Amino acid sequence: MNFQHVEILLVEDSSADAEMTLRTLKRRGIANNVEWVKDGVEAIDYLFCEGTHAARGNGQPKLVLLDLKMPRMDGLQVLERMKKDPRTKAIPVVMMTSSREEGDLLASYQLGVNSYVVKPVDFDAFAETVAQVGMYWLIANEAPR
Amino acid sequence: MKLALARSLRLKLLGVILLTTLVALVVAVAAIVVYDLRDYQRNWTSDINTQAELLARISASAIAFDDPQVARENLDLLRLRPHVQAAAIYTAKGAAFATYARPGTNPAFPKSPKAEGMLMDGDALIVYRRIVSDGETIGTVYLRTDYEMLQRIRDYVGIAIAVTFIAMLSALAMSTRLQRVVTNPVLAIAGVAQEVVEQQDYSRRAMKMSDDEVGVLVDSFNGMLAEIERRTGELEVSNAELGREVGERSRAEQEILRLNAGLEDRVRERTAQLEAANRELEAFSFSVSHDLRAPLRHIDGYAHMLEEDAAGQLDAGMRRYIDTIRGSARKMGVLIDDLLAFSRLGRKPLELLAVDMNDLVERSLRELGNISAASIVRIAGPLPPARADASLLRQVWVNLLANALKYSAKRGDSAQVEVSGERDGAVARYRIRDNGVGFDMRYVDKLFGVFQRLHSQNEFDGTGVGLAIVQRIVLRHGGRVWAVGEIDRGATFTFELPAVQAQTTEDKP
Repeated sequence: MNFQHVEILLVEDSSADAEMTLRTLKRRGIANNVEWVKDGVEAIDYLFCEGTHAARGNGQPKLVLLDLKMPRMDGLQVLERMKKDPRTKAIPVVMMTSSREEGDLLASYQLGVNSYVVKPVDFDAFAETVAQVGMYWLIANEAPR
Repeated sequence: MKLALARSLRLKLLGVILLTTLVALVVAVAAIVVYDLRDYQRNWTSDINTQAELLARISASAIAFDDPQVARENLDLLRLRPHVQAAAIYTAKGAAFATYARPGTNPAFPKSPKAEGMLMDGDALIVYRRIVSDGETIGTVYLRTDYEMLQRIRDYVGIAIAVTFIAMLSALAMSTRLQRVVTNPVLAIAGVAQEVVEQQDYSRRAMKMSDDEVGVLVDSFNGMLAEIERRTGELEVSNAELGREVGERSRAEQEILRLNAGLEDRVRERTAQLEAANRELEAFSFSVSHDLRAPLRHIDGYAHMLEEDAAGQLDAGMRRYIDTIRGSARKMGVLIDDLLAFSRLGRKPLELLAVDMNDLVERSLRELGNISAASIVRIAGPLPPARADASLLRQVWVNLLANALKYSAKRGDSAQVEVSGERDGAVARYRIRDNGVGFDMRYVDKLFGVFQRLHSQNEFDGTGVGLAIVQRIVLRHGGRVWAVGEIDRGATFTFELPAVQAQTTEDKP
């Protein structure tokens, strides 16, 4: 049972992307406590303390990094649930995806996404992007307590 | 009409029969009458002459003896011959010797006898006869008798008329019945012909009643009817066929009209399908880009992590391997991005406006971020405006200017890029000339192909998509683009766009 406060919830079906993201966040010293879930269903369980995460008692994350295309429940559905529910509405959500498809971009913003970031192929650029997102939302940005 | 025809034929036949009968009768009766009259005349004159001769003989002695009493008695014998009207005996000197008159009459006698002979006097026949004795004329006999020729002719005419009348009646009665033998078969044919004409029924046949000419006529008539029936049948069949064909043609025309009517719908439908397919293709290309980019990111990312984590253990060769892995992954990422940019060109509808080309070229140069660009690129005078989509046209300029700068970069300070333009009727023409490495005109066809490159990656960076993008955009505007080059002497790229018409410029706010 982990009662430590989670700074970031990473919702990512690709373990490689997840590993690169986690490594970047840790190496740059932005966030040490990141919870990684592999799809939308698990993300919802975590956020609303349901299913396997029913017994967790460590509050809500400061930031959700959400992949767009995932099995079972995709990023847009998770975003929709979060922004409709008062318990999760205030949590900043950054969509991180491989493509800048117009439809996805538009849908994300209409559902109230806080940021939309395209993951670069180049790892240096990728790492830089992840670092900037983490720095901004966890350090620069003031969120309601 | 049938009745009239029948009457006509029967009457004609009857007329022919009766006329023939009449002519035959008249000729026959006339012949009989002529013969009889001639016979009568011959007999009568002969009889009278004989009478006169007899009177002359028996009266000769009376004259010789000058005995009138005897002569008178001789003449009285004529009472037995009632036809004799009067008779007289004259002496040689011409004096009346004795006379006789038919009882009850008192005829006039000639004063003196005339020459011997026979002569007619009205209804009477007069004969003079010499009385000869011993070769000497001693007197003359005068005999006057009835001559009944006219009466006889009258009788004959009456009889002939009666006979003719009776014969004609008989002929009429007989021929009225007998002519049917001839007319009935003909009338039967006529009747059938009448019905065929009136009812258009060619299956009717005339009945054959005899083997004579009418029979032949019936056979011929029936033969003709059969032929007509056959031809009519064929005609009807071909008419029906024709009607069917006309019907089919009409149906085909209806079908064509219907198809034509449906064609527009189908074109709309197909257009919608094409648009849907296009959208699907774009969706596909985006998901491909997503799916291709993720593994590339992982290749690059893990190579990087390997490099970081094993930094102390890697020698220069190993580092080069890792750099190559990462370089290739990034290169492929750029290729995918360029390809996506190229495929996205067909997506947006053109927003055609009058574009200020000088402004666009300067903005494109700034976008290139090449500090030296401003000094290398010379814009020769004002460029004509074009009717184009400014955001797409900007990509044309960016690509062409980037190419010109890239391939002339080796010239260093002497590198030159010149941009010029001119208006040519309805066309605006633009030219970008550089003094760079140029290209071999043999490969000019490959210049604008996707991923086609005329230089190696080691010589010049690039994916080979830029000129393909340029061509696609220019073609979408209805223009054209071409290039002329020479190795180590530079290249000139020229493209044409629709020029801005006078009123179009005025329309612009």
